[in-house]
Amino acid sequence: MASLLDAPKPRISCSMLSQYISRAVCFVGRVEKVHPTGKTFTVSDGEGKTATIEMNEPLEEELSGIVEVIGMVSNKGVIMSTTYHILQEDKGIPFDLELYNEALKVIHDFSQYYPFEVAASG
Amino acid sequence: NIRQISNASGPPRFRLMMSDGQHSLTCESCLLATQLNHLPEGNLLVPNCVCLLKKTITNTLADGRHVVVVIDMEILQSAEETGGKIGNPTPYNTDGTASPMKASPMKASPMKASPMKASPMKASDVKTSPAKALSMKVSPMKGSPLKANSASPGSSTKVIPIANLNPYQSKWTVRARVANKSSIRTWSNSKGEGKLFSFEIVDESGEIKITAFNKEVDKFFSLVEQGKVYYISKATLKVANKQYSTLKNDYEMTLHAHSSIVPCDDNQSIPTVHCDFVPIGELENRDKDAIIDVIGICKSAEDVSRITTKNSREVSKRALSLIDTTGKDVTVTLWGEEAEKFDGSTQPVVAIKGARLSDFGGRSLSALFSSTVMVNPDIPEAFRLRAWYDQEGYALASQSLTETRSAGTGFKVNWKTLNDIKNEDMGHGEKAQYFSCVATVLYTRKENCLYQACPSADCNKKVIDQQNGLYRCEKCNKEFPNFKYRLLLSANLADFGDNQWVTCFQETAEALLGHSAETLGYLRHTDEAAFDEVFQKANFTTHIFKNRVKLETYNDESRVKVTVMEVQPVDHREYSRRLLQDIYKLAR
Repeated sequence: MASLLDAPKPRISCSMLSQYISRAVCFVGRVEKVHPTGKTFTVSDGEGKTATIEMNEPLEEELSGIVEVIGMVSNKGVIMSTTYHILQEDKGIPFDLELYNEALKVIHDFSQYYPFEVAASG
Repeated sequence: NIRQISNASGPPRFRLMMSDGQHSLTCESCLLATQLNHLPEGNLLVPNCVCLLKKTITNTLADGRHVVVVIDMEILQSAEETGGKIGNPTPYNTDGTASPMKASPMKASPMKASPMKASPMKASDVKTSPAKALSMKVSPMKGSPLKANSASPGSSTKVIPIANLNPYQSKWTVRARVANKSSIRTWSNSKGEGKLFSFEIVDESGEIKITAFNKEVDKFFSLVEQGKVYYISKATLKVANKQYSTLKNDYEMTLHAHSSIVPCDDNQSIPTVHCDFVPIGELENRDKDAIIDVIGICKSAEDVSRITTKNSREVSKRALSLIDTTGKDVTVTLWGEEAEKFDGSTQPVVAIKGARLSDFGGRSLSALFSSTVMVNPDIPEAFRLRAWYDQEGYALASQSLTETRSAGTGFKVNWKTLNDIKNEDMGHGEKAQYFSCVATVLYTRKENCLYQACPSADCNKKVIDQQNGLYRCEKCNKEFPNFKYRLLLSANLADFGDNQWVTCFQETAEALLGHSAETLGYLRHTDEAAFDEVFQKANFTTHIFKNRVKLETYNDESRVKVTVMEVQPVDHREYSRRLLQDIYKLAR
């Protein structure tokens, strides 16, 4: 799983989950519900759709707000997460999730101008 | 109306045999609309019960027969109460005899007068609806609510909603209110000349623009009054020319010699105006040049001023400031007579339909020739705004979307990238040009960035060190024992396109370096390392720069000089939105 963190991972939204099955992705969303066991939680993306995240170990802290999750998409559309980090919003600038979604659409629609993968292999 | 029912047939479509005591319509002729299926299915509509037909449509079949479809009906009396057939109905002949229904046989029925909502027992009234249904008029009639019938002038009012108008149907009448009437305009071009006026009408279903030319202008201009309701029929429908109208309708109407406009007295159901108000806080998200409706309290209004346009015409204008519950305010410009007449002293509610949104000063609105400006309109939003303002709005220090301070630009933000300076030969004209850009600081020159300036309040001239502890200012013609440090910073900015040397004076330099000139002057003597660090830290910081660019000649040498007027932190969300918009525009 260490290799997962080496290569750059495409950023996706909920609607793109099905296209990235068995691939490593980066997902940014707002935490919705945390399962009592702490091993799984749901996040919503800029379009309002939700995705489920599953952790290797149960969460040790209170998760809320915007979070960035890196993991692999299972064939059920669940993200098996290896790592995550919370995006601080307390500096006074809120994170505009809808704007992020718009940017994602552009990146995917015009992927020829956003060659993130090439940078890694070079 | 007394009806009898028998026989359900086919898939859940109920055919009714109806009678009104005098005549009956066979099963073939009366159909129950499916939304009323629950009535027979729930045993409410059973043979011999008495019902009131509230809405019907009459369709003509290919063979000339007529079918009455009942869209809405109410059961007035159950079958048990009615106790059997009423009267002795004879089948009505549907072959075109529009025999007028005899008024009155109702007295035989034990119909309690009170439960009848729409109209009193006057049989004639009640009859008008079915009478029309049975009267073999060819065109399908959308049944109008009974109360409207009493106001209809004559038998040919088949009023249809504006939303249903199309060029393929010629026999129609609409009943609508004039929302906006223009003045008479004349034109003269190579094809000739003429005059026209236009107005917009609105009803519950929508709105449409009507234009009258030449002769029709004379005929109708004085008849049509804004705010009044008219029956209009016989005009030409065609596809709307979106260049001249912003109404939400695919079609527009042109009056011709046979057009008819008749005033209507019954206008309760017609809305006064069809507005889709955008909250002022939302205006930032709309595109410039969009046509929108707004409503707000006029917080303040400037005096009317007269300006001369490019065409050497003199026109009046007045700017007012509108605020609404989002706490944001925007500047609205009124023109012409509206500007002159406007009185903002009472802080009235102002609603504008069809104003143009511009990015002048950020965001601002302008009333167009076709806009409608309403002061204290009689609509619920206006009352809500009034109540909000009187309670809390007046005290709000609102955030203005229209920046009125010039800061050297005074016009809409001119976003450029650094390569544009060379590509567009910026600054080469007579006047200096101003632009804004997002750029990163590559280098700040710490040598010669500070100079000793005259300590007088308004004088910034460099003083000469007399070497005797005194400093002389040539401008003030005085000598001083001290001076103040001022910054004159040379920096190199860059973006993806190009890099550019710029000059920053005191305020912008202090903003960039994060320290005052005095502090830096002190550090330079005392702690060189700390002094150096200030300049290092400024490198690779990204800001929004508002710049002035001008070609300057100095001893036969001409160079384009760029001066930074203002430094602002990058608002990432605003920047992202702008980039996205640019991408979409380029993608088309």
